[in-house]
Amino acid sequence: MAITTQQASDTLDEVAAAQRKISVLQGYAKGAPHFLLWGVLWAAGYAGTELLPAHAGLLWLAIDAIGLIGSFLLVRANAAPGARSAAGSRSAQSINFFVIALAFAGFIGATYYIMRPDTSAQFGAYPALVMALMYTVIGTRAGARWMVIGVALGVLTVLGYALMREHFMLWMAFVGGGALLLTGVWMRRV
Amino acid sequence: MPAELNELIHQPLRLQIMATLAALPLREPIEFTRLRAITDATDGNLGTHLAALEKAGYVKIEKDFVGKKPRTRVAMSPAGRRAFLQHVAYLQELIENAGGKNGE
Repeated sequence: MAITTQQASDTLDEVAAAQRKISVLQGYAKGAPHFLLWGVLWAAGYAGTELLPAHAGLLWLAIDAIGLIGSFLLVRANAAPGARSAAGSRSAQSINFFVIALAFAGFIGATYYIMRPDTSAQFGAYPALVMALMYTVIGTRAGARWMVIGVALGVLTVLGYALMREHFMLWMAFVGGGALLLTGVWMRRV
Repeated sequence: MPAELNELIHQPLRLQIMATLAALPLREPIEFTRLRAITDATDGNLGTHLAALEKAGYVKIEKDFVGKKPRTRVAMSPAGRRAFLQHVAYLQELIENAGGKNGE
């Protein structure tokens, strides 16, 4: 069977398109359990902050620790032993995870230190806005669903801050946590 | 081995299957249902083409149960990856050679 250069070129385009599609879908599939985990943790953390504001610091310390350990285990589970991907080996992905987590925590801590938020709503809104920005930026390369949750989370956070400041923590528990959970379910779908 | 057209892989759906599997990390399988959704193929059509690729030794099909639910997973074999890369190399070579002739 002989093929023309045009057919060869079309075939290579099809190969590239199929590989882009699976890369985006695998990214969604690997991101989904993280969204489900953090959706539950956000709901618990923000609701707990509303109910027990005096213990919010300790509560979030525990929530973040559970989330970090959970996400780390998910990263390990996603990278099968011996498997190599564009993201690197299993141990390289584990190290990357901790570098990103430390950079994120460091950035939030440094901003709090310099900007000194006055209210609990400001404390609660800021990490959500940073996450929204991260998802939106990730979405420019990894697929539209990341961008949708990034924009939605940012808009919902600002809306809650503007309209529901009295019960902002509850808003973030139900709306923010709910948005993450729905995203997790959406990302599990092909 | 010189790059050559692989007629088995060149069929559109089989090419899509192989391109999808080749984009996964080494040894990582994909579920049949996910592959079906990605390729927009029917159960029967996908099954037929997967059987042809399995017969050629290009893919491995594993069937097991998750709880009581049957699960079929497909992974590319090392021979399949080599054949796919050779096929892609052949297509690239064809385009490059035509470009060279046109440029003379």
